[in-house]
Amino acid sequence: MSAPIDIKGFTNDTLGWKAWLDVVSLDSATPEQMAVLEESHPKAKVSDYYLFLVHQPEILKQRSVAFNAIMYAPGGMPRAERELGATVVSRINGCVYCASVHAQRFEQLAKTQEAIIEVFTEPHGAGTTPRERAIVEFSIELTAQPGEVSVKSIQKLKDVGLTEPEILDLIHSVAIFAWANRLMLNLGEPVFPAKESST
Amino acid sequence: MNELKGIDMRDAKQTDTVDRLVGLTASDQTYQVRHQRDKVVAATQGSENGLFDPALEGLTVTERLYVALFACVLTPAPELVREYTERLIAQGADAEMMDFVAAGALENIQSPRLHAILKFTRTLITDPVKADRHALLALPQAGLSTAELVTLAQLIAFVSYQVRLVAGLKAMKSLEKSA
Repeated sequence: MSAPIDIKGFTNDTLGWKAWLDVVSLDSATPEQMAVLEESHPKAKVSDYYLFLVHQPEILKQRSVAFNAIMYAPGGMPRAERELGATVVSRINGCVYCASVHAQRFEQLAKTQEAIIEVFTEPHGAGTTPRERAIVEFSIELTAQPGEVSVKSIQKLKDVGLTEPEILDLIHSVAIFAWANRLMLNLGEPVFPAKESST
Repeated sequence: MNELKGIDMRDAKQTDTVDRLVGLTASDQTYQVRHQRDKVVAATQGSENGLFDPALEGLTVTERLYVALFACVLTPAPELVREYTERLIAQGADAEMMDFVAAGALENIQSPRLHAILKFTRTLITDPVKADRHALLALPQAGLSTAELVTLAQLIAFVSYQVRLVAGLKAMKSLEKSA
């Protein structure tokens, strides 16, 4: 189900991430910083990403609430499709770390990796069903040319059966990765696991 | 306080920036769909409020507004260009500097600090994969602290989110109105 993928520098492997500048050390964190770390992510206290962003705790707090509500809230667009949108945005923006995390989540939720292989190989036209292709196309457009998104773009999503709450969830998923990619790409870098033969 | 008067008066009518920019009111279908995700609505506005909070130390509010304006000019996102221009005017920003930023004429900006901030903004908005370690480390060299740099990166990234949210909702609303 989840065979290793390594296409054009994109992977579904589990990567680390390290910050390029000083992170907040837990010894010197304020009670507010500790509280925000605890709310943000189960592993935030051992993650360079959260320990770096917590230099501004209120901003991280709001961002984490938005992120978690967009990606995990029940109802609306199936979570696998939100992860597909996130993976497409990360592929377009060139964020190898985000792409790896959300490719894995898509595979876990959708129980297939066909769409991920296609997105990594060539995002334009990727998708195994008309619905997936429409989601991928919209994700590319809103990422690369937000000024061009029009009535027609939304109509194409409706034509393959997306409801309005689902379209909203897709817009949110794409938009939040415009945000996430710009942090992951620009504040540090992915750490690749040591090469070993995995069978 | 005085320079914020324009914003306060506008906000008295509608406190949610995205709703105001898209032109969403409670009777619109798109408004109702959006507000079913009320946590996202609140955290979107909460992020904006936090990023532009005058009490946030480091980057001045005017520096932050220049960054937001430049990000929207580069995207391009005309409604948001207008929005951040108005806020800069309300803030008493220098008219010539606003012109330089709106025209992307960074070579005319004398302050090494603002120049470095806007250069980083340009890379992150137009080609985020190019904003590498070297681009980031130029900022401490221009005198920014790590906390200021986190504010800057979050601000640029937030505006990238905001312009796409507004663009998507505008298209949803247009379709609703054309139906």
